[in-house]
Amino acid sequence: MKTPHRTLRGLTFAVIALLASSPLIAHHSFAMYDRTITYVFTGVVERIIPDGAHMQIVFVPLSEDRTALVRDASGMPASWMVEMAGSAQEAREGITAESFPRGTVFSVGLSPLRSGQRGGARMEAVVKCPPKKPPAPGKHCDSVEGSTSHGEGHLAKASIAWKP
Amino acid sequence: MNAAFDRKYRFTVGGCLVCMCVVTWCFTRVSGQAQGAAPATTRSVGRGWPIPVPLGKFHGYPESEFVGAVTPWYYQTSATATGGKPPAGVQPLPHDIFTSKDFYVDRALWMDKRYYRCNSPIALDSIWGDYASGPGAIENNDGSTAAWGHCERDYPREAIVSPYPFKTAQEHYAALLAETRAHGGPTQHAKDTLPDWNGRYTRNLNLVFGRGRRGGGPGQPLPQEFAEPPQWVVGWSNQMPTILSLLTPEYQQRFVQAVYHKVNSNAAQNSLMYCRPEGLLRWWSGPGGPSQLDVMVVPGRVQFLGGTDNALRHVQIGREFSLKGTVPNLGSDVRSWLGETVGFWDRDTLITWTSNVQGWFTHGSWEYSSKMQLIEIWTPRTFADGRFAGLEHETVFYDPEAFLQPVRDIRFFSRRSDLKDAPPFHLEHCNQTIFVGKDGRGTQVPPGTTIDYKVMDLYDRPWARIWEEYFEKGMQRPKAPDDLGGFK
Repeated sequence: MKTPHRTLRGLTFAVIALLASSPLIAHHSFAMYDRTITYVFTGVVERIIPDGAHMQIVFVPLSEDRTALVRDASGMPASWMVEMAGSAQEAREGITAESFPRGTVFSVGLSPLRSGQRGGARMEAVVKCPPKKPPAPGKHCDSVEGSTSHGEGHLAKASIAWKP
Repeated sequence: MNAAFDRKYRFTVGGCLVCMCVVTWCFTRVSGQAQGAAPATTRSVGRGWPIPVPLGKFHGYPESEFVGAVTPWYYQTSATATGGKPPAGVQPLPHDIFTSKDFYVDRALWMDKRYYRCNSPIALDSIWGDYASGPGAIENNDGSTAAWGHCERDYPREAIVSPYPFKTAQEHYAALLAETRAHGGPTQHAKDTLPDWNGRYTRNLNLVFGRGRRGGGPGQPLPQEFAEPPQWVVGWSNQMPTILSLLTPEYQQRFVQAVYHKVNSNAAQNSLMYCRPEGLLRWWSGPGGPSQLDVMVVPGRVQFLGGTDNALRHVQIGREFSLKGTVPNLGSDVRSWLGETVGFWDRDTLITWTSNVQGWFTHGSWEYSSKMQLIEIWTPRTFADGRFAGLEHETVFYDPEAFLQPVRDIRFFSRRSDLKDAPPFHLEHCNQTIFVGKDGRGTQVPPGTTIDYKVMDLYDRPWARIWEEYFEKGMQRPKAPDDLGGFK
């Protein structure tokens, strides 16, 4: 169960990250996200969308044993999209289309959409695994030697696990 | 003030129309004179070099050398054959881009001008009557009836490629900076020493706009100070294969894909029709280049405002790019639609380097990559009596992903008025009224209509994804690697 302290810390980092793109802070409301929930994923980058207002990473979560893509009921990769700060801010954190190319394995915490659709707002740091070194079963990239952390804080702690 | 501006503008336009035919032959002479900083007897290391081939037959604005069956802006039809039949003496291909079922398998034909019925890129872009300022050349809604252009015409490739020895924009900029330093520069202008460039400018293209529709005619000569070589970048002076010959195989394919879906599928995917960004190369295009360009100069910055989609470009005077990113940038390793520009003054000449550009597409032209970088040289020209006439704009395009070698364009912006006399600039916001219809083509949708809407990835060639989804079923498109890190 998530503690109030942890929730506050997560929210603080998220707000810092999202407001860092100061010229565009009023881009949209964040009420669409359920801040009481934090999912943590380790997944594979499908696409980086480097928009000025918010960079987005489209990714497919890896299975619990970290060997396969999670797929939905129809057999298609269960893609998620995580929204972050503006692309300029993310670049300062080392997250760009070039540094997170398709196929990159990374871990991220997010507050999911209230709607239940597979999207969310990033919480705390993004951690990238070294190439060809996914984490051990049940672990995230912050457990892998040579991983890199991007952004303030550490990888968020999950309040609950997402079930495909 | 506005009325006075309009009267002056109309007068000047009328006065300018015809003399474009005497202008370009003397371009290289004028260009040489216009180089304000480099001593006249010394050739600069990287600016103001003449076009290395004779431009004799490409006299003036080369109406008589337009390649395609139709040319917008002039509202000109100059087909050599209509109704799908070839011109006399030309053996058509068994099939061409107008009749092909799969342009991918036609790759061996791409460099044959007959594949395009000898039409130029801009003619192909307008052949369905796409431009209000240009006629179409398709009959009965049947692409196979497309008219033929002039197979005997073409602007030389040698006149397009950069004459300079540099392989990168960085090298080019460094050489120009070193040259400027060698004679005591860069010039550190204060407010009272800056060249007085403030004003509203226009391109020669806009001085001839609508010429054919107004009845054409020779008009009066433009002053020779407005001279510019044929604007190949607009796409009216060349056969398609000549432009393709500048491109890498991947970018050849992208350009042919765009042309195929324009002329064969009749499925235009112009960026702004969906309120997408226009991209930097649009600044040089026929349809989107700055018809009015407001130039403002202060000691630390030169601002260019104009071109479709409210194009705003800032030259950061005296600043230097960080070379630590994927491409040179001003601190943020994220591509932007118009890039970032640094520059310096060499007396009254402005030399700039643009990088950090988002790769994109403008219709009627080739795609460019996010590695594209530009060197631009802005040089003032004066009339014989010493009055300021405008700015020569020389651009060298470097794009190692799209181009086999750098290319160059030279054009002229004439100053039409002081800013205080120009009509106000209005910021425009795009309100999307055209959406992708059920057939994959753009269609008007009235307010209140509920439609299916597919969200496209703006950074993944959305125009091409639509073509591929709706119009390329069964085609033998080369498969791109789809590796998600090896995970299944």
